[in-house]
Amino acid sequence: MRLISEKILVLYCVWLTVALASAAALGQAEATAGHDIVIKNAIVMTVTHGNITNGSIYIKDGKIAAVGETVNAPASATVIDAGGKYLTPGIIDSHSHIALDDDVNEATNPITPHMMMKDAFDYQDKAIYRALAGGVTTSLLLHGSANMIGGQAVVIKHKYGAARDEMLFPNAPRSIKFASGENPKRVYGSRDQLPSTRMGNFAVQREALVQAQDYMREWDNYNEKVKRGDKDATPPKHDLKLEALADVLRGKIMVQIHIYRADEMLTEIAMAKEFGYKIRAFHHALEAYKVADQIAANNIAIATFSDWWGFKQEAWDAIPWNATMSMRKGVRVAIKSDSEDYNRRLNQEAAKTMRYGGATEEEALKMITLSPAWIVGVDDRVGSIDVGKDADLVIWGGYPLSSYGVPEKVLIDGDVYFDRSLPGLGTTHYKEGE
Amino acid sequence: MQPAISFLRSTKCRLFASLGLTILMVMGWAGAQDKPVVLRGGKVLTVTHGVIDNGAIVMEGGRITAVGDAGTIHVPAGARVIDVTGMTIYPGLIDSETQLGLTEISAEQTTNDLVELSDEIMPHMHTAEAFHAESALIPVARMNGITNAVIAPESADTLPGQDSFIQLAGADATEMLLIRDNAMPLNFTGDQRRNKGGFEKRKFPSTRMGLAAQLRQAFLDAQDYKLKWTDYERRKADAALNKEKDKKPEPLAPKRDLKSEALLPYLEGKKMIVLAAESPSDLETAVSLANEFKLKFVLNHISHSQPVLDYVAGLKVPVIVGPIYEAPKEDERYDTVYSLPAQLYKRGVKIVFASYSAHNVRNLPDQAGFATAFGLPYDEALKAITLNAAEIWGVAEQLGSLDVGKTANVVVANGDPLDVKTDVKQVFIAGREVPMSDRQVRLRDEYSK
Repeated sequence: MRLISEKILVLYCVWLTVALASAAALGQAEATAGHDIVIKNAIVMTVTHGNITNGSIYIKDGKIAAVGETVNAPASATVIDAGGKYLTPGIIDSHSHIALDDDVNEATNPITPHMMMKDAFDYQDKAIYRALAGGVTTSLLLHGSANMIGGQAVVIKHKYGAARDEMLFPNAPRSIKFASGENPKRVYGSRDQLPSTRMGNFAVQREALVQAQDYMREWDNYNEKVKRGDKDATPPKHDLKLEALADVLRGKIMVQIHIYRADEMLTEIAMAKEFGYKIRAFHHALEAYKVADQIAANNIAIATFSDWWGFKQEAWDAIPWNATMSMRKGVRVAIKSDSEDYNRRLNQEAAKTMRYGGATEEEALKMITLSPAWIVGVDDRVGSIDVGKDADLVIWGGYPLSSYGVPEKVLIDGDVYFDRSLPGLGTTHYKEGE
Repeated sequence: MQPAISFLRSTKCRLFASLGLTILMVMGWAGAQDKPVVLRGGKVLTVTHGVIDNGAIVMEGGRITAVGDAGTIHVPAGARVIDVTGMTIYPGLIDSETQLGLTEISAEQTTNDLVELSDEIMPHMHTAEAFHAESALIPVARMNGITNAVIAPESADTLPGQDSFIQLAGADATEMLLIRDNAMPLNFTGDQRRNKGGFEKRKFPSTRMGLAAQLRQAFLDAQDYKLKWTDYERRKADAALNKEKDKKPEPLAPKRDLKSEALLPYLEGKKMIVLAAESPSDLETAVSLANEFKLKFVLNHISHSQPVLDYVAGLKVPVIVGPIYEAPKEDERYDTVYSLPAQLYKRGVKIVFASYSAHNVRNLPDQAGFATAFGLPYDEALKAITLNAAEIWGVAEQLGSLDVGKTANVVVANGDPLDVKTDVKQVFIAGREVPMSDRQVRLRDEYSK
């Protein structure tokens, strides 16, 4: 939803030089790498195979090595006693614009697929820490929705205080942001440019994809000539923009579409078929409940709000039952934040689906863990408490799917990054004032 | 603090009686409840006298006529008895700042009547005159048990206009507007400065000095205005008395000034100012300004005033706190604002919550619940959206708890009112069942076929 933030983020004073921060973080990482940890005495909410009361988790080298009522772990392992509290996988926010220092939209052209959000990633943004304190361990940082085709996303782990590259989710699949509806037509329409209507929106998108097809053909021809041994073959010009779109058409980049209205979802589905790419998820998708069958049939997920509505015309038909109604029709549903505020309490937002439409506890929890992990393309590594997955875990004070659930400890790759009982910011890796 | 209602009942504005402060005394719903209703068997959260586990409540003529044990409650003749076993019964919730009825679709400017930006001093704006009773947002809010709310203009002006106190059901705006002009915001958060867009676009007041000077002048003008009228009234009386003797012409009445007129009840301490500030420095500036003109006030927001909470407690005024979701400042811990309600409560400050919203009014109780995770006792959290709010707004005789004699604003839910998962099953406003349907329910049902 966020188009152009009205707030100008103030750069906070960073006492550490980048070099010092990296060195300190590396030192910490060395101290814990290969360290064995056991979390015991927890109500383990696995997401995939039920709850284990009085359960334990054995963490080895940052991965979940065992989970059950008892686990075999070396006697030397560090023990964290969860004191009978709830333990869930880390929350995954599949739609976020934090830590981009307000560089969310390159709103100078409706087609900017070559923008890399990683280039704007401000790894010291305290929003990363505040979300971490709310239990978020992984976020998909997306381009905004000013452009029909925006930039490529970056996937981060909320290792606040670590060096930049340690915060990037290793080998995460590539995602690109598409948009539709009011935002592109307003941004460019207000400048008397194309697009200023929904027809214009889709024409701009189709035009770009046609260009990408031409570009691919040129390169295919050239490569064919080279293969045939044609020494006179001249390579076409490299075009970053079309290269990125070609990768979309080649199925190398997952398509994440900002979209509200049901009719536009159908048009995007048709467009994807026309050009032969797959849509990974519809984001916002407030009218998904109207066409949930068709979304499910195309194996498209939705990343939606729990109960936001009415902030713009295309959000007027939003209903809080959207998530559960779509889920019951077979759509994979994630609840996301799209907000520096709501990413601090996504657990409560997920809990609302239990009320609106009667999601079970596990279904609700899945909407902020395993389902968003699928949207981001990392569900084989995070999103549930299963052996082999990254030890991204939250120990909760209170029941997480309620108004009262607040994270007490948050671990990422087996390392405690947030501890509510600690003074200062409660972070273990970020040291204020050093 | 002087309760607004008792002021409304007791005071006659001598100078401006003719201007007619429009006050609706009817706290009940005009279209009255036709027959008695008894809710029997639920867990009753009275707010004032504890929890009755197997309780019952009787509503008659729009009022609560009995609260007690399910086994011993007297069922009036002809009453409809509703079995609410397993349910939780609590008073209708009160949201202490909303924009209900002032907006429909946020991004569609034609649907917004939130604040008049043409000037910073706009005390003669009455939210009651823009209040859209048929707004689709109101049923959405009331379906979650919010039965009363304060309507305030947006805070972009220092004096953006006057609040209204509404009931979220009624045949029309007249019925829903329980009190018009019940209070007036005075905003001093820095956001009121006209300093956007570089030096060339600035206009007065572009600084806090400017805001304060402008406010001071406005109150001085109103004081002068009052003197002028007092003087006129005196001369007019003299003239009448000495009519025969002097044969002097009647004195001319001063020109009316709507802004000054609007400020007078506040300068006279008859109505309450809602004083909004966030940082300690703004808070102290705003308070000294209010004291300079002897304004009666409650505080609003104070989201980043943690360093001066003892000072706040010393003011001995209630605080509309938050929203507690306000982002902490760069150097603040993640839970600094979350824990503000608990910190104020510990110091003996009366607190209330507000959604500061229109579309999300229904989420008011979530905020109260969340505050308990950061140290606010549960009972206080519930009071902060019921009885405390009724007290601050001067309607505690009628609202805020399940007590005999009060307006029958009653909520029946399947559990804890402060938990996000709780589903409200039925809402009564002035003893009448509110239709448990809204635009969103209708869409849900239409697409569930």
